[in-house]
Amino acid sequence: MTTLADNRITTLKIVSFALVALWLIIAAFPFLWTLWGSFKVQADFFSKANWQNALSGTNTIRETGSAFTGQGYYGAWVQEEFWRAALNTCIVVFFTVVISLTFGTLGGYALARSGKRYAFWLLMAALVFRAMPHITLVSGYLLPFFEWNVWGILPTTIIVLVAINQPFTLWMLHSFFLNIPKDMDESAMVDGCTRFQAFRHVIIPVMWPGVITTGLFSFLLAYNDFAVTAMLLSTQNETIIPAINSFLGSTQVEGNVMFAVAAVVSATAPLFVLILFFQRQIVSGLTAGAVKG
Amino acid sequence: MAQIELRNVGKRWGDFVGVHDFNLTIPDKEFLVLLGPSGCGKTTTMRMIAGLEDASNGDILIDGTVVNGMEPKDRDVAMVFQSYALYPNMNVYENIRFPLKVRGIDPKLHDEKVRRASAMVELDDFLHRKPAELSGGQRQRVALARAIVREPNVFLMDEPLSNLDAKLRVSTRAQIKNLSHELAVTTIYVTHDQIEAMTLADRVVVMEKGVVQQVGNPTEIYDRPANTFVAGFIGNPAMNLIEGQVRAGVFTAPGVEISGLSAPDGAATLGYRAEDASVVEFGGHINAPIYSLELLGDATMVTVRIGQTLVNVRADKSFRAEIGDAVSISVPAGICHMFDGQTGARIEAQDAS
Repeated sequence: MTTLADNRITTLKIVSFALVALWLIIAAFPFLWTLWGSFKVQADFFSKANWQNALSGTNTIRETGSAFTGQGYYGAWVQEEFWRAALNTCIVVFFTVVISLTFGTLGGYALARSGKRYAFWLLMAALVFRAMPHITLVSGYLLPFFEWNVWGILPTTIIVLVAINQPFTLWMLHSFFLNIPKDMDESAMVDGCTRFQAFRHVIIPVMWPGVITTGLFSFLLAYNDFAVTAMLLSTQNETIIPAINSFLGSTQVEGNVMFAVAAVVSATAPLFVLILFFQRQIVSGLTAGAVKG
Repeated sequence: MAQIELRNVGKRWGDFVGVHDFNLTIPDKEFLVLLGPSGCGKTTTMRMIAGLEDASNGDILIDGTVVNGMEPKDRDVAMVFQSYALYPNMNVYENIRFPLKVRGIDPKLHDEKVRRASAMVELDDFLHRKPAELSGGQRQRVALARAIVREPNVFLMDEPLSNLDAKLRVSTRAQIKNLSHELAVTTIYVTHDQIEAMTLADRVVVMEKGVVQQVGNPTEIYDRPANTFVAGFIGNPAMNLIEGQVRAGVFTAPGVEISGLSAPDGAATLGYRAEDASVVEFGGHINAPIYSLELLGDATMVTVRIGQTLVNVRADKSFRAEIGDAVSISVPAGICHMFDGQTGARIEAQDAS
């Protein structure tokens, strides 16, 4: 027996599932299309004759003898040494995340626990710097970097990325620390900790989700940055995003565009893994039970 | 082992005075309760003793040593927070053990100490649980165990019962009383609940607006309140206070006439406790219509209105009347407390009656 109410609920369910499915397709399509296309040759994926070539792979079969080819990946990673760019990205991202998290946790904690008025103004200043377009920092730095002969190397880029990233990590961690009751560190201090021990043994363990979330955002900023890395790194030191850009920029040679496509897929894959891996950590829950429930 | 001395201790934030000129010596093993309404400076005083707040002026001495500017960890105090402040990532055992660990006490002794402390608060069965899996009362006991585990010189408790429900509060109160008797350690206990203060304290400090109003044992505070604030704060119900005039030993207010008092002429406030007065057939000192009538079970509380204030009297449990009926209340001079009309300070009876 189905009542009217049951019917309505099923209809509502079907409609909402359909909407979610539609959204999923629209959102995922560009990624899936790029992933699919990265195993074709340029004549198919960027076919002028018929877009369906990208699906059937007519030219790919003619050129390589199979519907799928790893040419794009081979060209990008081996021929053009994309692995160098990947390695540079690893270095830049690692140090940017570590440095901004170190300063961010210490500074965010200090600002969250300080009752002084200047703490507020420091945060306001941080917000202003956060709001500035990234490129404005670069244009100001370029001349001094040339003069001091530090242009084009990784440490300079790391410093600039940290500078861009720091206001954000400071804000984010500051608000996480505000959610942790002050009683916790005071209790630890009465129990026998110094301020720093209280921070290390009591606050940080509770803070992990916040630190990981903030670290993830810092990672994404450093990983995806184009403005800073493209301007500040020499060709042999460039990271993956400018590298992809340079693949795209030289369209005279056939196959280079496909290198870019393959590189894009290679650059996207780690992000999926990372977010799937850390999704559970994203915030909340851990402080429950610290104070009265 | 630990005597605490506060000399002219004060705390200011800008223009706001949190605590004003606090002077007190707390002898070893005393259970001292700081009592007052919220915002009266009682918690601030405790936090200054703990070292979580710097005193703006004055000296705090523990065992004769000035501890101003000393880190909390160096003062050898243990504190129970109102929110318990348990460490959510550690289980009960690790929570209790934490003070031993950070103070570098020989690890071989940890287990025994933790088990002894947890046994004292009956937590033995919960040692492997996380704080999130405990009830409010159990969390509270973890906080107590964490405080007693390292046998500190001074115990500080900041409203430890205020987050518990009424029934649990009574039993935990008894537990704290028993525990403090067993441990015999100087304890400072902050509360806004006067019943807790009366039941637990060796001595009570009543504070308001950062100023100490009265220091004394519970009986003194109850029997001889130093001013109208203490009188109106202590007791359940609090003391009835009536504003009026004294002329030649006779206190008058609308509907009130009490003679035989030894107070100087002028404006005065008269106070009496509801349980001391009684309802009489006629000829009482207060004559007014009944404003409300509450059956308490063991007694009946009769309230009448005098001017703008409501005063009450405890009548026999069989007393029955309607609201609006005239009632006569006997308030003999012997049960009256007189306070100055301006300052509110207690006026001591000239001749002991």
